[in-house]
Amino acid sequence: MKYALALCLSLAAAPASAGVAEVIDDQIRPNLAQFAEATAALESAAEQDCRAEALRPAYQSAFDAWMGVSHLRFGPMEEGGRALAISFWPDKRGMVGATVARLVAEEDPIARTPEEFGEVSVAGRGLFALERLFYDEALSGYGEDSYSCALARAVTYDLARMARELRAEWEDYAPLMLKAGEAGNDTYLSDKEARQALYTALLSGLEFTADQRLGRPLGTFERPRPERAEARRSGRSLRNVILSLEALEDMAEALADEPIPVTEEAFDTVLAEARDLDDPVFAGMEAPTGRLKVEILQQLTQAVRRAVEGEIGLQLGVTAGFNATDGD
Amino acid sequence: MQRTTTALVTLAALSGLAAGAATAQDGPDRKAVLTTYADIAEAGYSDSLTKAKELQAKVEALIADPSAEALQAARAAWLEARVPYQQTEVFRFGNPIVDDWEGKVNAWPLDEGLIDYVDTSYGGATDENQYAALNIVANPTFTLSGEEIDATEITPELLSDTLHEADEVEANVATGYHAIEFLLWGQDLNGTEKGAGERPWTDYAAGDDCTNGHCDRRGDYLKAATDLLVSDLDWMAQQWAADGEARSTVMADENAGLTAMLTGMGSLSYGEQAGERMKLGVMLNDPEEEHDCFSDNTYNSHYYDALGVRNVYAGEYVRVDGSVVSGPSLSDLVAAADPQVDAELSAALDHTMAEVGQIKTAAEAGFSYDMMLARGNEAGEALIMDAVDSLVAQTKSIERAVGVLGVERIGFEGSDSLDNPDAVFQ
Repeated sequence: MKYALALCLSLAAAPASAGVAEVIDDQIRPNLAQFAEATAALESAAEQDCRAEALRPAYQSAFDAWMGVSHLRFGPMEEGGRALAISFWPDKRGMVGATVARLVAEEDPIARTPEEFGEVSVAGRGLFALERLFYDEALSGYGEDSYSCALARAVTYDLARMARELRAEWEDYAPLMLKAGEAGNDTYLSDKEARQALYTALLSGLEFTADQRLGRPLGTFERPRPERAEARRSGRSLRNVILSLEALEDMAEALADEPIPVTEEAFDTVLAEARDLDDPVFAGMEAPTGRLKVEILQQLTQAVRRAVEGEIGLQLGVTAGFNATDGD
Repeated sequence: MQRTTTALVTLAALSGLAAGAATAQDGPDRKAVLTTYADIAEAGYSDSLTKAKELQAKVEALIADPSAEALQAARAAWLEARVPYQQTEVFRFGNPIVDDWEGKVNAWPLDEGLIDYVDTSYGGATDENQYAALNIVANPTFTLSGEEIDATEITPELLSDTLHEADEVEANVATGYHAIEFLLWGQDLNGTEKGAGERPWTDYAAGDDCTNGHCDRRGDYLKAATDLLVSDLDWMAQQWAADGEARSTVMADENAGLTAMLTGMGSLSYGEQAGERMKLGVMLNDPEEEHDCFSDNTYNSHYYDALGVRNVYAGEYVRVDGSVVSGPSLSDLVAAADPQVDAELSAALDHTMAEVGQIKTAAEAGFSYDMMLARGNEAGEALIMDAVDSLVAQTKSIERAVGVLGVERIGFEGSDSLDNPDAVFQ
């Protein structure tokens, strides 16, 4: 009996599964570092030259880096609504356009104090506010001495700050996941809870790409909505799908304890299809053949999700928890 | 002999342990817990129906004999009607029959210009919604998605079948509580200053007293929308009655039924209430993001949503007449499986009630919900974000309850992919 009890205890105190540590060390930490560096580079580029044309390359790099971490919708990312402030999309009520236009029209003095810019509505912050400034022809023609120049600097400053804080807070948060189940750890009572948090992020990321990044522009057969594609102004709609799937594949591989051939094949299939698609902002959606291709992409993304559930979910003994986007 | 004795003792010890484990697992019968759940749903929708009928009577009185008092009475009835209804929102995410129906009665946010006149600051059609400023009250005929619509007579059918979600845009909300709310209060033009919508009663007056035009059509619209609300709630109350479909579905499979309960609690707490309804409004500093934005009743809708979650867990609901529906609860069941998880979740739900109670208290004392959303209003932001954090924390405890009951398979309810698992094979 004693032995059995001891065995139970030792099982309960088992160290974090290899998967959790691997995801944190091989993916989360380096990707957060990359995001912090890319946004810092954008901020300093804006210090040098704040004009739209000059900043587009650094903007694209920062957005690329965001796709490596955008699925981590828990813990530090949800703190104070950070994910929304970095990337406010979908924007169902057209708030970004209206908010940026209002800031510019009123020359809201908040742009002169970048350290306080975090007070502004999330629709006037982050990557999507910058997209308006850099790519919307009505706004992007501003010069060095304009209000928009100050606004671009304030938004890039605020974005770099958030990325820096996100990275720093994850350094405090990671030990909670790695030492799940230890005394005093109220966040993760067991290793299973830590695995479940990552697993939920993985499935929610796939869900977001299928339902939002692809589902929103798809609309319905009678009424396709290419104007609803994510980041279409900066030409990134398809690129975001690809980069996010790549990041999620890395995460799946790191999280699994055993080989995951079915999941890998599902990822390979959808990625091959996506890389082949010659429609960067899903503009071809209006034609039935163009629409079909995006629909296939969506179905293949859903197939990845089912593969993950059947393979990794079973392996790890977890099911998805609730996620931040499960409202309506 | 000696050996045998030891073996027997060991066996006895083991069976004692097993018996102990069985006792710990006992708790109430799972069917009884599901019955309490369905009873609370039935009572909640029946109460919502009762209050909607009272609203209907006040609306009819307003249209028959318009006056400031009659408008005020209708508004008061609407506010009362929200109390039981918001407590039923917890039934939504776990039960497809409710989720599929919910959009008819509580769709939000809405582009109110679809229905009636709006201030010039509202703007017109948008990229997202060509019909954002259609103004059905002022236009007996119009074109919708290429089709000529005859709206000379405003009927419940016209609202539900033709105008609701017109052009496949979710913000085209033609029916339900919020359409009625807009018709009773009008736009709230106070921004993040204190104050609700100030629609004059003369918007329903006859002849020359009529303000803002088309008072008869406005009255027809209000009447049609209220009648529709009553019939929709009547239908849902029936679904939870003895042989109703919603009740039978819940009772058909114990694990699935418990999953429905927990999914409803978790999805409403986290993604919907903490996320869409509370955090987003603060982060956007936008009073238009208030759930009950025309009437400034948002603090109550948050409060009663949270109470609904607690009702389901505690197995207890206080009806609008003060009587109580209660029975074996999910809390009893979780406590039998793991008292610690039950204590944690019960405390988390109580903590949330205290947090949303603070918002309600401040709002009723004059610090209105719009003011809390204002840019740089740190006190308001703290009030709301504390409630958000509490809702997020309770969701974590709900996940733990799912674990100890062994009814995993939770999450992603209401997502397109799950609703249509065959999509990939089409």
